[in-house]
Amino acid sequence: MTEVREWSFPASYAQERVWFANQRDVGSPVHNVSSPWTFPTGLTREQVTAVFAEVVARHEALRSCLRLQDGVLLQVVRAVEPIELPVDDLRELPDDERVRRTAEIAAELSRTAIPLDRPPLWRARLVRLGDTAWRLLLVLHHAVFDAHSVAVFRDEMDALSRAAVSGTAAVLPELPIQYADYAAWQREQLAGAGLKTQLAFWRDRLADAPPVLDLPLDRPRPAELGFGGDEVHFTLPDGLLDRVSALGRGASATPFMVLLTAFSALLSQLSGSPDVVVGVSTTGRDLPELAPLIGMFVNPIALRCDLDGDPTFTELLGRVRDALMDAMEHGQTPFQLVVEAVAPQRDPAVQPIFQAAINYVPDTGFDPVPLGTTKDDLAFDLASGTSRLLYRTALFDRSTAEAIVDRYVRLLQAAVADPGLRVSALPLLTDVERALVVGEWNDTTRRIAERTVPALVEEQVGRTPEATALICDGATMTYAELDARANPLARTLIARGVGPESLVALALPRSPELVVAVLAVLKSGAAYLPIDTSYPAERIAWLLDDAAPALVLATAATAALVPGEVPVLAVAADVDAPLTDADRVPVTDADRVAPLRPGHPAYVLYTSGSTGRPKGVVVEHRSVNAYLAWARHSYPGLAGTALLHSPISFDLSVTGLLGPLTAGGAIRLAAIDAPAARAGGRPTFLKATPSHLPLLDGELSPTADLVLGGEALAGEPLAAWRAAHPEVTVINEYGPTEATVGCVAARIEPGESLPPGPVAIGRPIWNVEVYLLDPALRPVPVGVAGELFVAGDQVARGYLRRPALTAERFLPCPFGAPGRRMYATGDRARWRADGTIEYLGRTDHQVKVRGHRIELGEIESALLARPDVHRAAVLVREDDQGEPYLVGYVVGPAERDVLAAELARTLPAHLVPAAFVRLDDLPLTANGKLDRDRLPAPEQVSQAYVAPRTDAEALVAEVFAEILQVEKVGARDDFFALGGNSLRGMRAMARIRSEVDLDVPMRALFSHPVVADLAVQIEQLIAAEVDDLSDAEVAALLSAEEGTTR
Amino acid sequence: MAEDRFVVVRNDEEQYSIWAADREIPAGWQDAGFTGSKADCLAHVDEVWTDMRPRSLRESAR
Repeated sequence: MTEVREWSFPASYAQERVWFANQRDVGSPVHNVSSPWTFPTGLTREQVTAVFAEVVARHEALRSCLRLQDGVLLQVVRAVEPIELPVDDLRELPDDERVRRTAEIAAELSRTAIPLDRPPLWRARLVRLGDTAWRLLLVLHHAVFDAHSVAVFRDEMDALSRAAVSGTAAVLPELPIQYADYAAWQREQLAGAGLKTQLAFWRDRLADAPPVLDLPLDRPRPAELGFGGDEVHFTLPDGLLDRVSALGRGASATPFMVLLTAFSALLSQLSGSPDVVVGVSTTGRDLPELAPLIGMFVNPIALRCDLDGDPTFTELLGRVRDALMDAMEHGQTPFQLVVEAVAPQRDPAVQPIFQAAINYVPDTGFDPVPLGTTKDDLAFDLASGTSRLLYRTALFDRSTAEAIVDRYVRLLQAAVADPGLRVSALPLLTDVERALVVGEWNDTTRRIAERTVPALVEEQVGRTPEATALICDGATMTYAELDARANPLARTLIARGVGPESLVALALPRSPELVVAVLAVLKSGAAYLPIDTSYPAERIAWLLDDAAPALVLATAATAALVPGEVPVLAVAADVDAPLTDADRVPVTDADRVAPLRPGHPAYVLYTSGSTGRPKGVVVEHRSVNAYLAWARHSYPGLAGTALLHSPISFDLSVTGLLGPLTAGGAIRLAAIDAPAARAGGRPTFLKATPSHLPLLDGELSPTADLVLGGEALAGEPLAAWRAAHPEVTVINEYGPTEATVGCVAARIEPGESLPPGPVAIGRPIWNVEVYLLDPALRPVPVGVAGELFVAGDQVARGYLRRPALTAERFLPCPFGAPGRRMYATGDRARWRADGTIEYLGRTDHQVKVRGHRIELGEIESALLARPDVHRAAVLVREDDQGEPYLVGYVVGPAERDVLAAELARTLPAHLVPAAFVRLDDLPLTANGKLDRDRLPAPEQVSQAYVAPRTDAEALVAEVFAEILQVEKVGARDDFFALGGNSLRGMRAMARIRSEVDLDVPMRALFSHPVVADLAVQIEQLIAAEVDDLSDAEVAALLSAEEGTTR
Repeated sequence: MAEDRFVVVRNDEEQYSIWAADREIPAGWQDAGFTGSKADCLAHVDEVWTDMRPRSLRESAR
């Protein structure tokens, strides 16, 4: 072999970008482009090879590769060399077999990565289909070939082939410049002030854009993105593109602008954000000299679409058109420079600036061989023939991608049919989907008898008078006794003028009198208002002032808590006093000041809510009756013994209080940590919050039903309890007080497997309908987050004497029977494909850190998945500058430093708490919920300088400091946060490589930009490389290398 | 962007609520004759909704 002749030139920006992207996974074929060619018949193998060789000879790009030299990326062009193309002779095969085999060879070629450092950057095979029938299968690396190159290539192959057939000379355009000339020219152009102006445009245009498009994902975003992808093929309906063009013409817009506008509308609807960034490609061939060249010229641009104010489609098209024209004018700014200017903080979990892209390739179509890869989370390639949607398989299921295609086509059709529609009015659901989420999954109608609560209890007294109704501190009370104790008190209340629509407050401790008083108030026809006597006096005074009850029932001890002006009725503590026959006479409407109807209030409970002062929720008998009917049916344990441990001011306790009394069960009244809670064997029924789970040992745990409510439930903390109590049904019950205790529930039957992560809240219960709606109150598709609205029998009357607040939260229901109301819970949720609902958090508590919407539950789940974390909570706090940061609270032996490092392997960087606090236990409120206010602030957020601790850290820190011109770099410092960009990164890695004499991949820096993390990577590589060296030798090697850098 | 306009609505039970003015009012609800900003509509509800009992209950209790 003679010596190879090569020339080096600087790489173009586009090549640099492709090279960088390639570093994420050098073994991936994601950048392969195929450009097959079928020769006209009549040519020999030598002739077809010569045709192809001529094209290669004409274009330097087809003879070049990319190499890194001293931290600079070069394109290395090789002199023209003879070409030999391997042949697959398929002449003997039957026709269909030949087609199949050709496709197979093409696919194999397409799916094989082409290393960038050896020319040429293409792979080709000849397929012999007949004696003089040839097909060239050609796959090229995107670093030297783009979509326009396909057309250039076809033109030249066509001209040369026909010339070969006819034996004439081909006429091809002269190439005044080559690709390398362009690259040099481009660098020159962008050297001075021109670039500054361009970057200023992009900085301004993309300022404060959402860093991530918040699409509904099927799986949490992994810590690091790969190229794994798949594609859904489809054909746009007949005539749709014609109508798209017509609409465009009328609005001085191209068809692409219309397609793009519809895409932005879809993304906005799916993400719930009026601010959407979409990736669009520019050809990068503005100069006429570039038109006949093969090479990589494409430059992506980020188009920010403003959907604020719910514009009509026509208005939006105008906005998108203007924005696109502006952006195209600055389309020559290399995208990686835009990234560095706008989003220098790399997050390996998210592609910077845009995650969704759209392309319109009306004539050429797209690459026919699916590569199983994608660069974007979602990318449409729309064409007049087959179109496709590429999607990232780490994030989406195929069914979701198919649904996105359907939604896009439907939305586009509706928009071109009536461009005057507002974006919010463009359809997102099919009729079938709508029927599912509005109708089928809400088909909950169940006939139940209309009753008031006292009537239900009295019927139970009649059925089981001698059964135990109440157990408290060893004393028991039968149903007959309870009834007879309540009757005289009810009559006393009636005598004081109390009746339906009045309110009686209960300032009573956890005691038999409390239960008697509840029943007495209900019998009188009034509604009870529980006052938690452990509250501060001020709060009690405020509550009584706000609720203005007719009376307060109190004991001698608790009466002191009641401010002077409120009338108090003392309740005697003598539950042992003998009963008379008169006591057993039931209280009826004839006794009451007015008849009691199911529409009258049964109780008023105050809820704090997240904003504003507490408000009293007025719940009517019909709603309580509806809930209890379902609860008795669903919780057989209510007929046994139910432990009632939470204050009755908490609506979770209604199940354990009124449930047993209407099911013939016994209430065991005791604090959860009191010995009395355990006396008498395990209860059959227990309702608690998930925070209570660690307290539920072998004595406290119920034997039939464990109902969990009041907080989000995750699979991990429940798993241990279920393992210890495999015979018990667990029910995850969801429900705001405004929809009466529980309105959505998920049963987890014994033996049923439960995956880790959030537990679904299940389906709406009897006579409840749930709607998940977007801000325009339209049903959201399956998988898309919406606000949860509740309609049906359990919707409360409203807020006590707060008409405005009631009108704001209890809205006209556009679904179901006319005239109904639905309650806006302020909770976010989404439908799963099986018709169960997943709770996502509060709409008004949406936590954003570094621009990402955070699901705290996701982080808590990741913590709880570790054996050394027993309990966990994650909180957002603000630092001195008001910047939010995450704090992880853990109970268990986990080491704080280890947690941060190991969590970073499974969670995207923005989800890893900046600080951890170890606690002996998590603080709970009186109601048993996690008390977030009592979680301590972390002592220090570790942002301070940490000196490098190992030789590897010292090496990395020193290289960073030198390349970035920073005085002091610590172990916790981030390359990009210190001002690093990809060019400097390239230099830094080149330095590190030469120092340790190891091939440390470029992607190591992107995935591990923090000094300490990168150092660990390097140490691991060294260990893998030299595992026969001792630690001491490795250390010696590292420090020796370090010495040479000075 | 102009402030969103709402309309005060009322159902047969004489329960009040508010609804975006540019959206179709759901069946069973009527325009109660007041349109304005959200805050103004809610203030109006505070004035006119003096008895929060549903109408059918009020009538049956007579």
